[in-house]
Amino acid sequence: MTPRATPLAILALVLSIPALPALAATEPGEYLDRRAEIWNLFFRMMTVAFTIGTVVSGTIVWLCLRFRESNPKAAPTRYEEAGEW
Amino acid sequence: MSGHSNFPEWVYIGVVVALLCWVGAEAWNVERIVEHIPEDAELIKVTGQQWFWTFEHEDGTKRIGELRVEAGKAYRFEITSKDVIHSFNIHDYVVLLDAVPGRVNTVWFAPMEAGEHDIQCREYCGLIHYNMRGKLIVEEAA
Amino acid sequence: MVMELARPRPIWQIMFSTHHTDVGLLYLITSLAFMFMGGALALSIRAELFFPGAQIIGDAMTFNRIFTVHGTTLIFLFILPFASAVGNYFVPIMVRYKDMAYPKLNAIAFWMIPPAGALIWLGFADFTWYATPPYSVISAPGPAADMWIFGLKILGVSSILGAINFIVTILKCKHPDMPISKVPLLAWSFLSSSLIVLVALPTFAAALLMLLTDRLGASGFFNPAVGGDPIAYAHLFWFTFHPEVYVLVIPAIGMMYEIIPRFSRKPIFSASSGIAAFVLLSIVGFASWAHHMYATGMSFTEKTVFMVGTLAAVPASAMHVFNFLATMWGGRIRFSTPMLWAVGGIALFFSAGAGGVVNSAMPLDFVTHDSYWVVGHFHLFVMGTILFGSVGYLYYMFPYVTGRMYNERLGNIHFVLSFVGTVMVFFTQHVLGLFGMPRRVYDYPPIPEWIAMNQIASVGAMIIGVSMVIFLANMLHSTARGRPADMDDPWGLGAKYYYPYERKNPQH
Repeated sequence: MTPRATPLAILALVLSIPALPALAATEPGEYLDRRAEIWNLFFRMMTVAFTIGTVVSGTIVWLCLRFRESNPKAAPTRYEEAGEW
Repeated sequence: MSGHSNFPEWVYIGVVVALLCWVGAEAWNVERIVEHIPEDAELIKVTGQQWFWTFEHEDGTKRIGELRVEAGKAYRFEITSKDVIHSFNIHDYVVLLDAVPGRVNTVWFAPMEAGEHDIQCREYCGLIHYNMRGKLIVEEAA
Repeated sequence: MVMELARPRPIWQIMFSTHHTDVGLLYLITSLAFMFMGGALALSIRAELFFPGAQIIGDAMTFNRIFTVHGTTLIFLFILPFASAVGNYFVPIMVRYKDMAYPKLNAIAFWMIPPAGALIWLGFADFTWYATPPYSVISAPGPAADMWIFGLKILGVSSILGAINFIVTILKCKHPDMPISKVPLLAWSFLSSSLIVLVALPTFAAALLMLLTDRLGASGFFNPAVGGDPIAYAHLFWFTFHPEVYVLVIPAIGMMYEIIPRFSRKPIFSASSGIAAFVLLSIVGFASWAHHMYATGMSFTEKTVFMVGTLAAVPASAMHVFNFLATMWGGRIRFSTPMLWAVGGIALFFSAGAGGVVNSAMPLDFVTHDSYWVVGHFHLFVMGTILFGSVGYLYYMFPYVTGRMYNERLGNIHFVLSFVGTVMVFFTQHVLGLFGMPRRVYDYPPIPEWIAMNQIASVGAMIIGVSMVIFLANMLHSTARGRPADMDDPWGLGAKYYYPYERKNPQH
């Protein structure tokens, strides 16, 4: 892993540790709602997934628009002269 | 391969790995919490067979296709099957576990409020798999 | 042989040939025929589910048989043979050898497919493509089930023979001047997927035999009534078929690696990272099989191990996406039909992968497992990524195979309709799964949300159906009457068509 990625990974781990609540309080008569836990996790992940999805598909759309050959700014790549790539 | 820098790719891989670590840690944590079965959970034996569910309570009451529980109590399901693999599913309470012949699988839940919910089979089990349904009836606490 | 149709030969010369392009052509035509057959079954499934209640399919048993044969056909008789077709045409040329390493073995591997297909279609089994015991042992009606088992057995042998052939061709028959690092990525993809086949498939081959003897009553490996364990089958099955997922997807990625640099007018951003990702995927792919089995009652530890194994396979796939996008960056892209399919495939690849991460995150599996979410998820892979890459490549190799040009406008329409249809069907099915609809059901209760989403999905499926009819018309018409292709540069990109396109493999 590169110097920049390592702290990120560590950060992700460290950030997730305080989120560990003590083992779900199991006082008699008070139970955890598994619906809430599981769906909360689902929506947290969907938030991240849709954010990344927007970035990825935004990049794809931008690449397609910017580098299509009909774009006024399109320029021959340096491999084209040799006709080999 | 043509004199470009690989640095952006390494950064990208780092970000991907960090995100996956986050996903794994979160999922691990929630699973750990959800799997912890409360001590005082009441036992219900669930048996799947082609193509209906049988529920047997601790006091010996047996019902077919209908599960009656009380709001505010915790229940522990011991799930098994008499013939082929079924999957016991109360989608509204995110309860899902396979009923495997020869094995007993355990899952628990605690209904919060009174109401009616569908019980269904989520694993293909033959001709009437699509209609292997039941009702969960959550009653007000007595 | 190349440009078959420009210079017709009697059909038996092709059928009894062992030349790699002839065998490739046989693979190609067979796989496409099965694609249309399997697709027709898919349309009948979607038509049935348009409304709750029975519509066009008379009874549940017929429905169960239809989705079983649909899955089996499209995986084993379309995707795998299609990849073999591409491999047969191009791997020998890419490693600069006159033919496959074992031409006769190659022809034998192909000729195992028609009888296997006949067994599967004439039997029409009902126990899903997963043949789950004990249902498949004690409950599934024969002889359909036994015919399915024999069919799969034959296909397994065929896959193994094909894999051996690709591995030997690439490793031992490549031109001595060509170091392995210079072998094009498409050939690398066949090398890695063939290695996976060799390691993974024998497990399922053994499981099939055990299933058969169980059905005959001679043994009880998977039958709990006599002390067997059905979960053992699940392990054996998924040990083969989770890696097999990568066998399906890796050649499609390899095909995108051919198309994208070509139409971006740039070389691949980093061929070495593509190779690294292929190799990594084919190793890490073996660490995740039991993520299909969280709901069978696995312990917390087991689930954790397989979740980590699954997540570990993601960076390799992400590297491919990076490579594709970095290749397009700074290019001058011509969006001809093959490029449209490849780019559409990348876009859907991300969604499919994200859905897979959700499935493997342990507690979320209890929302998605065996629901329509899973159906949407893996179809987004097999249709959105694998079929998109494959069809794109089919358009790309079309001039090479026929010497003619397909109709560009019809190709574009095919892409747009398929893309819209795929999004409509499979994204909707994800949401349908979140609403709790189980998969493999003939009928469903009239819950308004379920009905609405099933109808959206069915309309999407009909759109795909229309696009496939256009595709068929385009292929047939262009093959027979298409404008002769400019074989130096069919798309006017300003460079030589990538491969030697002479009538014969120049190395022959």
